[in-house]
Amino acid sequence: MSTSDTSIRAPGKHIRKTTAAYLAMTLLAAAVNFVYGIFGHGVSSGWMAWMFLYPLLGGLLFYNLISLSIPGVIRAPRYRVFFNIHNSGIAALTAGSFLKGILDIAGTDSAYTACFDAAGWLLIGAGIAVLILTAIRCRNRLGPIV
Amino acid sequence: MKRFLSKPYRWAGLFSVLLTAAFTFVLMDTFVIEKSYSGASASQANPTAAAVSASSSSSTEQGSSAAVTDSSYDDGNIKITIETERYCGSTVYIADIQVADPSCLKTAFANGTYGRNIKQTTSDMAEANDAIFAINGDYYGFRNYGYVLRNGVAYRDTAGSGDALVIDENGDFSIISESGTSLAALDSAWQVLSFGPALIEDGEIVVDSSSEVSQSMTSNPRTAIGQVSELHYIVVVSDGRTSESEGLSLLELAQVFEDRGCTVAYNLDGGGSSTMYFNGQIINNPTDGSGTGERKVSDIVYFGY
Repeated sequence: MSTSDTSIRAPGKHIRKTTAAYLAMTLLAAAVNFVYGIFGHGVSSGWMAWMFLYPLLGGLLFYNLISLSIPGVIRAPRYRVFFNIHNSGIAALTAGSFLKGILDIAGTDSAYTACFDAAGWLLIGAGIAVLILTAIRCRNRLGPIV
Repeated sequence: MKRFLSKPYRWAGLFSVLLTAAFTFVLMDTFVIEKSYSGASASQANPTAAAVSASSSSSTEQGSSAAVTDSSYDDGNIKITIETERYCGSTVYIADIQVADPSCLKTAFANGTYGRNIKQTTSDMAEANDAIFAINGDYYGFRNYGYVLRNGVAYRDTAGSGDALVIDENGDFSIISESGTSLAALDSAWQVLSFGPALIEDGEIVVDSSSEVSQSMTSNPRTAIGQVSELHYIVVVSDGRTSESEGLSLLELAQVFEDRGCTVAYNLDGGGSSTMYFNGQIINNPTDGSGTGERKVSDIVYFGY
């Protein structure tokens, strides 16, 4: 399967939109944990309580670090490939954490939850590899990208 | 494909569909899809199980004239008395049970089948097995670990992390640590129930005010079983999660057994699963989730023929 290589024309706007989206996801994850706790007879799970960290650290913080440290890479044609793969990894890890929380609170487990972790970290690793390659290619073609 | 995915949000849309499908599958697999394992992993743990079962069944038959009231039963072989008390802000149902033969203490699976997500209400299972008295078991089918050995047959030898209740051929109770004892080593075990924790061992309370079941809150509906002496048992079910009954902590539950002289007592699945059935009636007030009503579970412990 291929991913898009459409370049991003307005990096500032892109980062603002990405930050807003991940902020919303972080708040949603925290709200889901809160609401689930209300109906869970006081039972809670660390997997659900801390799942907001994935969008917060892996999304909001990570993309802002990229925009501050290597802003030029956002305009690169292959940046969207990284963007799609990395977002998918964060989504898989967050969903996996939510799922483990649901099962943990219910007092059960499933071997399949490991697939979410494996897929998530694999996608994030692949995304970062694409980002590094893109940054190197940009530097070789255009000089320093910072 | 590349052209299709080059449009904004198409990758995100496609991945979201895949993720939602995977998420739904895991939930369905865990909570809904029935999987029968009967026959596949079952093995005779106790070589004399069949012989003991046959001889016990023939040696103990239901008395022809049982004296039955709303809270008692006595047919000469099985004597049951149920008391209802208020204890620590909760309604507690205490059954004192004496049997003439250990084969009168039995267990049963939902629909008579060992497996995951195979469920029936305690009362339906009790009626299907002609039980005189029944409680919910350990809900083994909700987990992938914890020993399962019933009526002398071993079904699951994956150890859990906690205590297990072993009931031997003579009807005597003992507590083992699953991590320190293999199922194969329990050669005289007739039943093994895996939930816990143990409440009383050697006549002493072995839980404290901080003890809890996994993620559970402090007070809950409870189901537990204990032994006073040879063929003499105490079963306790408490209401909970209602305005009338808060539920019991494990320490409070253990104190109920201690007060009645139990030497061994063990906590079974509680919460919405807690159900006491006697002579065709549900004795307690089960709470399934946010409402009232009987929850479907994997197994029961019962007294009958």
